[in-house]
Amino acid sequence: MSKQEHHETESTSERPTQTGAEAAIEALEAAGVEMIFGVQGGAIMPVYDALFHSDLRHVTMAHEQGAAHAADAYGVVRNGPGVCMATSGPGATNLVTGIADANMDSDALVALTGQVPSGMVGSDAFQETDTMGVTTPLTKHNYFTHTADDVGAAVGEAVALSTQGRFGPTLIDLPKDATNASTDVETPPPTPPATTVPQRLAPGAAVAAAADAIAAAQRPLLLFGGGVITADATEIGRTFARAYEIPVVTTMPGIGSFPEDDPLALSWAGMHGTGYANMAITHTDCLIAVGTRFDDRLTGGVETFAPEATVVHIEIDPAEVSKNIHADIPLIGDAAEVLGQLDAAMTGPPPVDAWREQVQTWKQEYPMDYVMGPDGPLKPQYVVERLDAATSDRAIVTTGVGQHQMWAAQYWTFTEPRTWVSSHGLGTMGYGLPAAVGARLAADDDQEVICVDGDGSFLMTLQELSVAVREQLDITVAILNNEYIGMVRQWQDAFFDGRRMASEYSWMPEFDALAEAFGARGLRVDAQEEVDGAIAEALAYDGPAVIDFHIDPFENVYPMVPSGGANGQFALTPEQL
Amino acid sequence: MTPEVPKEGLAGPAPEERPHPTARRDATGVRAGTASSATETPRRTILSALVEDEPGVLARVAGLFSRRQFNIDSLTVGPTTVSGHSRITLVVEEPPGQIAQIERQLAKLKPVISVGELDEDAVRTEVVLMKIRGRSPADIHAVVGMFDGQTIDAGSASITVQITGDEQTIDDAIDAFGQFGIIEIARTGYTALARGMQPTVPGEKPGTADEPTEPTP
Repeated sequence: MSKQEHHETESTSERPTQTGAEAAIEALEAAGVEMIFGVQGGAIMPVYDALFHSDLRHVTMAHEQGAAHAADAYGVVRNGPGVCMATSGPGATNLVTGIADANMDSDALVALTGQVPSGMVGSDAFQETDTMGVTTPLTKHNYFTHTADDVGAAVGEAVALSTQGRFGPTLIDLPKDATNASTDVETPPPTPPATTVPQRLAPGAAVAAAADAIAAAQRPLLLFGGGVITADATEIGRTFARAYEIPVVTTMPGIGSFPEDDPLALSWAGMHGTGYANMAITHTDCLIAVGTRFDDRLTGGVETFAPEATVVHIEIDPAEVSKNIHADIPLIGDAAEVLGQLDAAMTGPPPVDAWREQVQTWKQEYPMDYVMGPDGPLKPQYVVERLDAATSDRAIVTTGVGQHQMWAAQYWTFTEPRTWVSSHGLGTMGYGLPAAVGARLAADDDQEVICVDGDGSFLMTLQELSVAVREQLDITVAILNNEYIGMVRQWQDAFFDGRRMASEYSWMPEFDALAEAFGARGLRVDAQEEVDGAIAEALAYDGPAVIDFHIDPFENVYPMVPSGGANGQFALTPEQL
Repeated sequence: MTPEVPKEGLAGPAPEERPHPTARRDATGVRAGTASSATETPRRTILSALVEDEPGVLARVAGLFSRRQFNIDSLTVGPTTVSGHSRITLVVEEPPGQIAQIERQLAKLKPVISVGELDEDAVRTEVVLMKIRGRSPADIHAVVGMFDGQTIDAGSASITVQITGDEQTIDDAIDAFGQFGIIEIARTGYTALARGMQPTVPGEKPGTADEPTEPTP
């Protein structure tokens, strides 16, 4: 053996070992992760112990569901992975709602869960749950690390996979013996799996066919989904729309991809979308859909969805093409790159003058407006408008799910990507407050973070207010309190002859007093003239503030396309349903 | 402060006063007459998937079929020439659009390396084991011969036979052995390969090539 060989052998044998838990943290750091949201517990303790000497910031949440939502929102605002952590059993199952939420909204959420020691797996041990089995249908992929040697690679791959192609959640289940044991396996750089590499560019022939279809269209319409935002395609999307003067409709997750104050903007389409967006999507003859999965809340009944349109579908996930709406010209690839290809292939603008005039007419005909007199009850839409007016263009809005979410989406004018942070596909009540915690920690200091919440939604996760207080997070929670689980009440009144079974929430606590008990600022507003003052006070307060807006309890969300109905037949009043 | 503009509420023509296109899509989102529709008659076909042989891969495939309501008739799995790779053969019955959707959903699973639908002429076979009442061994032996099968166990009360062939052959054999009284049956479902030198899944390299198949996007 030469001297040099001897030296190498010696250095190999002297490679410092670390625990599986330390490998997990090392892999997170190597992937650029800066923050983890989590809750301690028995089986995950070794990983927490490894965090003790790490620069990674850990934010303890009050409940694991809050950890998942906070990490999800952090990822949305940063356009990268959000990481959450919990112990086995109830810790893992409490994460599940957040993982399912991320899965439906294509958010890059990475979950680390503790697990009972591998030798006890299958024995129904204390705090054992089949986390792999539970989360397989809810993740892009999940990993079970059998030994400490597996941990570093699995964690790195899970983080890389979460943002590869279409974003989505991943999970690593870490048995306690694997995180406790030592390993001398070097943690590889985070690398996504080779079996899931997406196609980034669409075939030239398909791009040419799409360009021809657009150029020949009389009534072209762009539909921007959440994929436009995650693919960082907002700039080229805006340029493309303006270059060819094609009006733009967004989906709800696509809110912020195109500035809603642009003359070409029609805001968002679907069940509670604007009348003009739903008219445009009904009458278009060429729908250029980008980064969307044609959710049923967007399409209404598919029979009447864009029934005259040639559909050009730009999408990174081939499985979304022709799943719900047939794509006449599928362009599988990265939204930004394919829009670039399409722009290069365009031979000229489509003849859109008459169409743009028609669209403007619809904007005049179906304005977004609500009824509010000088002395009448406080209207939720007004609260949203005043919050929007009091904050900057880059302010971030998080919401729960229900009527308040729709009013926030309808009456806030969004102009920037990653400023609308909501639960769309899963419709998770309680998303708003933990999302505000995650968004605050991800946002720039000059970005206000406003959680527009409902009384029912707020009650589901309000324990996270303790985290906002502890971390001194500057967030404003605006509860649109109607003492109803309002969307259900609206449906009961419309479709169940007004039988308000289990939807009356007259038993709500005094949220302003509750906020003060948590150590936050608590305010209550009952009348229009108090709105601006309370908003100013809450925004000025350096820490979490909660404004309990007591709104008209019977205000409803319109326009409305009933489930499975035709978008173009949206109702403006209950009588039109 | 009150709003400067009086708030009058939503306005505009009622739904029945608005123009609406008469064109329609079918229930699967296809514009009438423009493409093959998933409402078409279901078709029985064989899909083959080359997968990384990791724990839980079968559960991932089976779970996908269950949660997306894909109809699956049979599933077989076994190793290939490449260490760490397995082949899953699936018989499904779905309309053409849905078959394409199954392939794309399968391809999304991380352990799936490549997936494809086999041509009509693909070679396919199934094995059935039948435990038959042993009263007429000579007659049973004769029927086993007709189907080029094998007797693999014989006792005083029962005879177990193995028949290999396509689905029709197996069905016929079950019918033929029915006269003796079939005590138990176990069928494997199809396993299949593409005919000739054509790869069974897109991009699949021959096992003799000494290099594993690369994943296809």
